[in-house]
Amino acid sequence: MAETMQGPQATPQETEAERRRKEAYFTASQGQLIWARFRKNRSAMIAGTILLVLILMGIFAPFLSPYDPTIKGRNADYTNGAPQIPRFCDEAGCSMRPFIYGVKRERSLATNFRWVTTIDTEDRRYVQFFVEGDEYKMFGMTFDTHLFGVDEGFIHLFGTDDTGKDIFSRTLHAIYTSLAVGTLGVLISFVMALIIGGIAGYFGGVIDGVIQMVTDAIRTVPIIPLFMALAAFIPQEWSSETRFFFISIIIGFINWPTLARRVRTHLLVERNQEYVLAAQLQGAGAGHIIGRHLLPSFTSYIIVDLVISFPYIVLSETALSFIGLGLKDPVNSLGVMLQNTTSADVLLNYQWYFIPVFFFIALVMAFVYVGDGLRDAADPYSSSKK
Amino acid sequence: MTAPLISVSDLTVRFHTDEGLVTAVDRVSFDIAPGEVLGLVGESGSGKSVTAKSLMRLNGDNTVYDPASRITVNLPDGPVDVLGLRRERDLRVVRGGAISMIFQEPMASFAPAITVGDQMVEQLLIHTTMSKAQAKELSIEMLARTGIPEPARRFDQYAFEFSGGMRQRAMIAMALSTKPRLLIADEPTTALDVTIQAQVIDLMKDLVRDFGMGILFITHDLGVIAQTADRVAVMYLGRIVETGTVRQVIRHPAHPYTLGLINALPKLSDLDAPLTPVPGDIPSPLNRPPGCVFHTRCPVAIAGCYVEEPAMRPARDGHLAACHLTEEAVTEGMTA
Amino acid sequence: MTAQADTPPVIAAENLTVSYTLGHGLLATKTRLNAVDNVSITIERGSFFGLVGESGSGKTTLGRALLRAAPISGGHVIYRDDEVRYDLAALSKPELKDYRKRAQLIFQDPYAALSPRMTVRDIIAEPLEVMGLTKTRQETDARVREIAAKCRLNLEHLRRFPHAFSGGQRQRISIARALVSGPRLIVADESVAALDVSIQADVLNLLKSIQREMGISFLFISHDLSVVAHVCDHVAVMYLGQLVETAPTRTLFARPRHPYTSALMSAIPSLDPDDDSQAEKLEGEVPSPTNPPPGCKFHTRCRFAQARCKAEAPALREIEPERFVACHFAEEFDFSRDHAAAPAEA
Repeated sequence: MAETMQGPQATPQETEAERRRKEAYFTASQGQLIWARFRKNRSAMIAGTILLVLILMGIFAPFLSPYDPTIKGRNADYTNGAPQIPRFCDEAGCSMRPFIYGVKRERSLATNFRWVTTIDTEDRRYVQFFVEGDEYKMFGMTFDTHLFGVDEGFIHLFGTDDTGKDIFSRTLHAIYTSLAVGTLGVLISFVMALIIGGIAGYFGGVIDGVIQMVTDAIRTVPIIPLFMALAAFIPQEWSSETRFFFISIIIGFINWPTLARRVRTHLLVERNQEYVLAAQLQGAGAGHIIGRHLLPSFTSYIIVDLVISFPYIVLSETALSFIGLGLKDPVNSLGVMLQNTTSADVLLNYQWYFIPVFFFIALVMAFVYVGDGLRDAADPYSSSKK
Repeated sequence: MTAPLISVSDLTVRFHTDEGLVTAVDRVSFDIAPGEVLGLVGESGSGKSVTAKSLMRLNGDNTVYDPASRITVNLPDGPVDVLGLRRERDLRVVRGGAISMIFQEPMASFAPAITVGDQMVEQLLIHTTMSKAQAKELSIEMLARTGIPEPARRFDQYAFEFSGGMRQRAMIAMALSTKPRLLIADEPTTALDVTIQAQVIDLMKDLVRDFGMGILFITHDLGVIAQTADRVAVMYLGRIVETGTVRQVIRHPAHPYTLGLINALPKLSDLDAPLTPVPGDIPSPLNRPPGCVFHTRCPVAIAGCYVEEPAMRPARDGHLAACHLTEEAVTEGMTA
Repeated sequence: MTAQADTPPVIAAENLTVSYTLGHGLLATKTRLNAVDNVSITIERGSFFGLVGESGSGKTTLGRALLRAAPISGGHVIYRDDEVRYDLAALSKPELKDYRKRAQLIFQDPYAALSPRMTVRDIIAEPLEVMGLTKTRQETDARVREIAAKCRLNLEHLRRFPHAFSGGQRQRISIARALVSGPRLIVADESVAALDVSIQADVLNLLKSIQREMGISFLFISHDLSVVAHVCDHVAVMYLGQLVETAPTRTLFARPRHPYTSALMSAIPSLDPDDDSQAEKLEGEVPSPTNPPPGCKFHTRCRFAQARCKAEAPALREIEPERFVACHFAEEFDFSRDHAAAPAEA
């Protein structure tokens, strides 16, 4: 008969490594289990890597980009310029260092004395790394070193737009802006959703009913007309930063109902779990139950919800900026950059304007895949299995 | 000797899981003759549900059937190899046509937003060539047959308007309306009150007699098996450890697990007997013991049990047990 | 039996009623549901008291009411141990807090009763922390280890999370959690129903050893008569919120004095395939608790019902010492026609 309770059956053939692996599984906290499951999902891991790269590109944008993305850093001699891809070899021979060709701008007879830019294949400009360039601020400190540049003139990996601004630099900064708006919006949504959804879910009853009505009412508000109205309200004098915060806050406000509903649902479910009743029967107060049982129980869900709402917020901001109701130059986000792509001229002649689109798609898809992967990793754990 | 209704041979089912390839059913073989009730007894983790679902190919996408497994259903038109079926159309024959299944949670089998009658008619329309009116008539008749009062009125009601016992009867009615040759009952009475359970068991026995179909009755309750089944197979960790007629297995258990189960049951006839659990815990299916799957909990295990897997040896005519020890040795060892 | 005749019972419930009003909103008609209807039971100190019934019987609600997890709408429930005496229907807030230390609950579902994000050690320690029973972490740890050892959980297990354990093991963790505050009364609500038979015996043996060694009184709620017959010293049978019969276990099972008890016993499928003693199976369904039959609530399904049963509800009478039955004809009829003595099984 059983004397001690048997844990995992340790058959004689079990190796030490197997035993340790099993013990790790038994003592793994929920976070560790979710991470272990997430790691096995290949598409999620790839998306996660891409997401990480993009985020780092955004954070270190001022360092990674050779020039200031605003008018300050523009190259007046090379407007609507095609991308300059560094190469190692040409007719004159190969070199260890990558180089690009210099460009010259002159008034040409052929085009009725309009500016024409020609590429001078004799003029090699070597790409250098860690060059000194425009000053920028990062993490509160001022730097002036950029990852790469050329010894003379400019290098435009993604080409330039109609005023000569470097699209590569603008893209990287745009990623940062979009992410910043997204983060701010998500944070605002989240805090509001947690409070409002939390109250509705925990207390239930009449309070829940009233909050539900309010939430649903807000959800029905159509975004575009709302923004059009708001855009009319925004004074022209507001600086781009203020405008930036304003847009983020508004987007956060629009999105909280969805999150709040999720929080409420999670709470309603968890509140009726038997282990909550067990805590109540020990005389635990509401604070203890919320802090010790309810909140941890849906932390994983909330993180998944946050990651999944991120692309929606980025999309909202992009869409709004695209139609001119959101951020405006000089603050550029991916949406603002996409605004410039709407003319036929661009479509026919300056296709490199579309490069930011790929970054945008990559960013949103990466979020979606990571969110999905997280949700799949979190779900199996929460369903009780026999 | 008539051909069996269904013949399962060397069924091995594995699943792809996070932790690797898990064997849920290991070389299970049994036959069910027409009009026979075979009880499949086992506890959680024994693989009995997976076995049942395999007969209708209802297991999930991550299922891997071993190439050596065979499930053959003998229909009037000829035998059907269930595991070899590829197209949805062909699978329909075994799903609800020749084979029907009833489940433990009757609330889960009925769609909540459609009336019970509509669901029964839908099933008939899929599997037979009846008209809608004929299907309705047959459905009401089946509801009456399973003892539901006012069947015509109940036909138009929703599942939530039925009580637990009645829902189970309605599910039986629905399962039987296509006149299946084999009925698989997966823990049909576990969720019911004991007085309702008794009614449902009686109902099933009557139906077997009237319809002449076979039943695969899955449960963990040996008492229900004793009253309902003709033959029984005891499963543990995916293997069948003992099989025989109900009288043989319950009165003269030859396998230590079966004997352990019987001893662990509280019996009204002997209130002084101590409750003796089967020692230890069921191993995880990821960690199936070598040799005899039961040896880690077996009170009478010998050295050979760790190493060599026992074959099914006959204890008497028609009664087989997978144990290295003889029935006498087992009984002696466990009562000592 | 470990109960002593002169010590007061740990629970003495008199005319206990728990009723709910159904029907939400302003326009819905409100119906009254008596989940527990006028029940009087006495649980002796140190006894293992069984409460049996099917769905709708109110047994779970009664158990919850004894723990003040369900509202007491009427009657008195007196709890007494060596230190205090409480009327559960009229507890002040500090009294309720104190009562929580003395009465605990073990749930049915081992998978839902444990917080999946806490280690076993934390789960067992939680009552100590919430109730403020220990002052230092060492004290808590020592007490957790002591109780865990009683439930055959070792140090290794304490570090793990619930997902590492099987149903039976989880139930042991639930039991440990219930024991850690030193209760005198434990309500086990279908605590073995979700377990495999081979594990069930193990957990039941653990509960009995706790009763013996620690002198704790148990209210064991179950629908499984066979289990109750083996572990309980006293049994009460409920139907539709009312008590129909209560007696010492052996006496009850030797000869039931209420038709419902008899029907329950004969409905248990016998392990003997040749046992044809089919004492008539109860026909019909359990009536809705919101609309109970008049007179004796069981009369609609009772083979022995007479005119009087429909008109007059029978009172719970003591027909023998310690034996109470609510039936007009308890003495006249022999309900267990086929169960004069329980049948011999395989």
